[in-house]
Amino acid sequence: MVKTQKEIAIELKGITKTYPGVVANDNVDFKVYKGEIHALVGENGAGKSTLVKILYGIEQPDSGDIYVEGTNVKINKVEKAIELGIGMVHQEFHLVPSFTAAENIGLGDEPKTKSGFIDWEKLNQDVSEIANKYGLDLDPTLKMIDASVGTQQRTEILKTLYRNANILILDEPTAVLTPQETDELFEVIRSLVNEGKTVIFITHKLREVMEISDRVTVMRDGKVQGVTETKQTSPAELAKLMVGREVFLKVDKTDSDPKDVVLELKNLWVHDSRGLIAIKNFNMEVKRGEIVGIAGVDGNGQTELVEALAGLRSTSKGEIIFENKNIEKLSPRKRRRLGLAHIPEDRASTGLNLRLDIWENLIGTSYFRKPLSISGIISMKNIVKHSKDLKERYDIRTPGVFIKVQSLSGGNQQKVVIARELSEDPTLTIASQPTRGVDIGNIEAIHKKLVEIRDDGKAVLLISAELDEVMSVADRVAVIYEGEIVAWVNPREVNQEQMGLYMAGIKD
Amino acid sequence: MDKFSFKDVLILIAGVIITLGIAWVILTVTGFIPGEIAKLFYEGAVVGQRNIVNTLNIATPYILTSIATVISFRVGMFNIGINGSMYVGGLYAAWAGYKFTNLGHISHVSLALAISIICGSLWMLLPALLKVYAGVSEIISTIILNFVAVLFVSYMANGPFRADPIAPATPRILETAELKQYFPNSQFNTGFFIAVTVAFFTYFILKKTTFGYELRSGGDGLVGSYPSRYSSYLGIPTDRSAITGMLISGGLGGLAGGIEILGNARYFYQELAFNQGFDGILIAIVGKLEPLGGLIASLFWSALKNGGLFVDYKTDVSREIVVILLSILIFFVSAQKLVSALEKFSFVRKLDSIFSRRIK
Amino acid sequence: MEWLEIFDISLFRSLIRSATPIALIGFGAAMCSAAGVLNIGLEGKMLNAAFVGVAASYYSGSALTGFIWGVSAGVITAILFGVLSFNLGADEVLAGLAINIFALALTRYLLETLFKRRGFFSDPSIQGIDPIEFEFLKDTPFEKILSGYTPSVYLVFLLAFLLYLVYYKTRLGTAIRATGENPEAAKDAGINTLRMKWLVVIFSGVLAGIGGTFLSLENMTLFTEGMSAGKGYIGLVASSFGNNTPLGVFGASLFFGLGDAIGIRLQGVYELDSRLILMIPYALTVIVLILIGIRQRLRVRPVPINED
Repeated sequence: MVKTQKEIAIELKGITKTYPGVVANDNVDFKVYKGEIHALVGENGAGKSTLVKILYGIEQPDSGDIYVEGTNVKINKVEKAIELGIGMVHQEFHLVPSFTAAENIGLGDEPKTKSGFIDWEKLNQDVSEIANKYGLDLDPTLKMIDASVGTQQRTEILKTLYRNANILILDEPTAVLTPQETDELFEVIRSLVNEGKTVIFITHKLREVMEISDRVTVMRDGKVQGVTETKQTSPAELAKLMVGREVFLKVDKTDSDPKDVVLELKNLWVHDSRGLIAIKNFNMEVKRGEIVGIAGVDGNGQTELVEALAGLRSTSKGEIIFENKNIEKLSPRKRRRLGLAHIPEDRASTGLNLRLDIWENLIGTSYFRKPLSISGIISMKNIVKHSKDLKERYDIRTPGVFIKVQSLSGGNQQKVVIARELSEDPTLTIASQPTRGVDIGNIEAIHKKLVEIRDDGKAVLLISAELDEVMSVADRVAVIYEGEIVAWVNPREVNQEQMGLYMAGIKD
Repeated sequence: MDKFSFKDVLILIAGVIITLGIAWVILTVTGFIPGEIAKLFYEGAVVGQRNIVNTLNIATPYILTSIATVISFRVGMFNIGINGSMYVGGLYAAWAGYKFTNLGHISHVSLALAISIICGSLWMLLPALLKVYAGVSEIISTIILNFVAVLFVSYMANGPFRADPIAPATPRILETAELKQYFPNSQFNTGFFIAVTVAFFTYFILKKTTFGYELRSGGDGLVGSYPSRYSSYLGIPTDRSAITGMLISGGLGGLAGGIEILGNARYFYQELAFNQGFDGILIAIVGKLEPLGGLIASLFWSALKNGGLFVDYKTDVSREIVVILLSILIFFVSAQKLVSALEKFSFVRKLDSIFSRRIK
Repeated sequence: MEWLEIFDISLFRSLIRSATPIALIGFGAAMCSAAGVLNIGLEGKMLNAAFVGVAASYYSGSALTGFIWGVSAGVITAILFGVLSFNLGADEVLAGLAINIFALALTRYLLETLFKRRGFFSDPSIQGIDPIEFEFLKDTPFEKILSGYTPSVYLVFLLAFLLYLVYYKTRLGTAIRATGENPEAAKDAGINTLRMKWLVVIFSGVLAGIGGTFLSLENMTLFTEGMSAGKGYIGLVASSFGNNTPLGVFGASLFFGLGDAIGIRLQGVYELDSRLILMIPYALTVIVLILIGIRQRLRVRPVPINED
């Protein structure tokens, strides 16, 4: 019996893509065989999204070649990719809410009757046929606003199948699914492959990789770290490839000397904006004089947790106790007055008002206090003094405080945020992705600052998707996965493999 | 709205030049001599006591409505209903003007104006609440209220507030309610000073008080951008700011209407038509959503209008040409892409940074 | 209840006539909103069309010429709006507002300069568009109800039907709706969203043009300053009331038209002031908007917590 040689569905050779300041893809080779389920794995920023964007025609590579079924092609727009049989299901769905599933699937390509009108019956029929063929349970007449997330995702998948996609790219598909819906999705993927389709599955969840994929490509820092058959590897090995560094960047600091408890989370549950559970059964304590870190890949509930702590999102169950007071019902302003500060993960839209001057942003949390204002009247003299003072202390590089914040570099903008937050001498500072988009020099400075206030007897809760940062700055670290703490680790003692496993949701 | 920058000056100058060019063409084509018209124009706007004073009088409602717009846009509400507030405020000022007898001059005027402010303000309450609590577009709700306002005041002037069976108008206001007119040849009255005071007061509040600071942070500088994440995150109660902003802008609109009645018309009649509420929006944009900018732009606007009236009176050129030219200017100023296209020129960027450093 | 007597044929005809320009604008506004364009400038387009229509008819002596020029004026104004909003990046609402102010001033200016009149222009040389009498309806009970309207009225009925078909049964319709609700989804499907937006803007310009010429050439043969009298804005309100669907707009226009017609009839006759009645459609629109807004908010249902 002749063993059929595996045909190559797509191959990317030598793909390089740079954005200002960062090499997203560095000479990447990526090969996917027909009929296989290929997992593309890596942390945030590893380069996976860029790679598939290039494959799908959303971006163009600086150099490198793309081969689809052996032919060298240039995919310069999405239509071309679709023509070549490549389909993509994005992480955020592109669905029209008031349309039905069938209407969304057929959009732009609806079958017509002889008189030129859309043949809705035929469309519904076609959609049902395709759905049944691939084992996708879907009611074509269901409106998307009334549909569950799982159904919406199936609609997105059907969109690609309707356009005769042979190669499907699924970008973090399980991020929005419940465990049961995830199982259903895997059924669908298997049946797609049975019908001859090829699936590229992007994820950071190693458990799923082991369960569903045939082969795995691991990326890190824009480069391919390893390609292997799933059967021949293990979560531990994959984790090592994903996380990779031998030594975490060290921050110079003495041991922490924690005192009394400042923040306590008891059995906290928080829903996200879609109504899904983002944080569940969360218990944690933060003490004075320590930096507690929360490590985990972005999207596991960190955003919602921080919003709940800051007062920007309501909690669904459980307690937040700050300095022995329950604060779940308090407004952001009241929490700040009690001594809680918050460095938000998105400085552009939340942390700063880019159109205002530096001084206006610096006084955002303190403008109503003396001496910056007296009975409602702002004292410019004191404000200028205060702002200049902060500029010095936090080394904000700018010619003056009357310049629009917009014109500062990312690092300096972040320093403005930090200066403002820390200027109130808060008891607890929640720092969420504090060095995102910040250059190396300023990263160091910011880390130093956090340690400084810790040594001063304050508490810091550091949430970051940058593993380096959490491991080197925090005194003890909780790993978050799908809204729960899966492990507490000592950054000095834990090894990278173990960390990778925890971050992928694999508990002891 | 970005803060006033050199690019804006360039666009304004370019706009003015092009608008003047168009004016030149229109005038020549219709058989007039542009130079002469321009001279008359200038004369009508600012030459001679009567003309100057009339210009200032026309400016009064524009100043108030543009400031009203500035405030509501700054808190993130795209309020198009200030004209409606003017009607309601004007009506009730007229009512207060004849209803309360036995009051001294100052008390009567103050009472009447206060009532016009309150009524104008309440008129904006519904759209504000609808937006904040039900997400209803304030653009549409304020447009609707404009219509309702016209119907309502027309009904009232014709019905319950009617003076006598023949004329559809309210009774003339009592002398004690009048805003004093200073010149025999013009309707210029105390209202102008009130308006200018309001402008400076608003400037002061926005720049120098905590209340103003809260209002400013809320809008993120973009029109119609309520709710703002930045403000909520800081703990500024954005709901409160938005509603307050709308109420204040309604109040100022009402004040504009009140001053028009107490200072100029002296009674409210059915055909009375206001449109300064709409012009105020455009003026506020030209003034870059700053109170003082609005003040200057209003003066400019009314100077042009008055010049146009004068030219209209003395020649066959219609006064409407002024509004045509002004709207063309607005087209220019609102074309954001033109402004950002200027960014490509390095000399613009350099001058920009010098400029912004100069403004403190 | 004497006031019920006013509900007669003549009121019906008056209602239809009042509803027509509102519907024309409303259809245009609804299409624009469906595509995600907030088109406030329809008032200005209507006004320009009304004036140009009269002027052209006067100079040419032909109603048809007047009509064509009038509609063209509406389209040109629409192009101005499109260029400002799409090409030059101006805010749609501001551009619309500026255009309305521009049109009012422009038409007044031309009225004075070309025709040397103020307030209005009426002249026997202006050829109006005549009503259509259907022969086959003569001497039937339907004659009074269905026959004898000017062409635009019949157009409105036709449009309601056509637009409904286009909206829900053609690729164009779904493309437009997708552009408005989720441009990303539309782009994914290969739809050129910019082209869609231009399409609806031009289309609404045509309709506004027809609405304008209806006012000045069909309903009456004259041009009055500010003739559109807010009908452009009412059309926008009607489209909100009708939730931006063709049939909804049609119904809303009839409703507003009814208010208008009753108002005219009741003027000064009965105690219930016509103006108060006119307010009813607006009040109802506000209520509809509130209901729509609340419905949006109720959409998100949180997943129940079960601790296991």
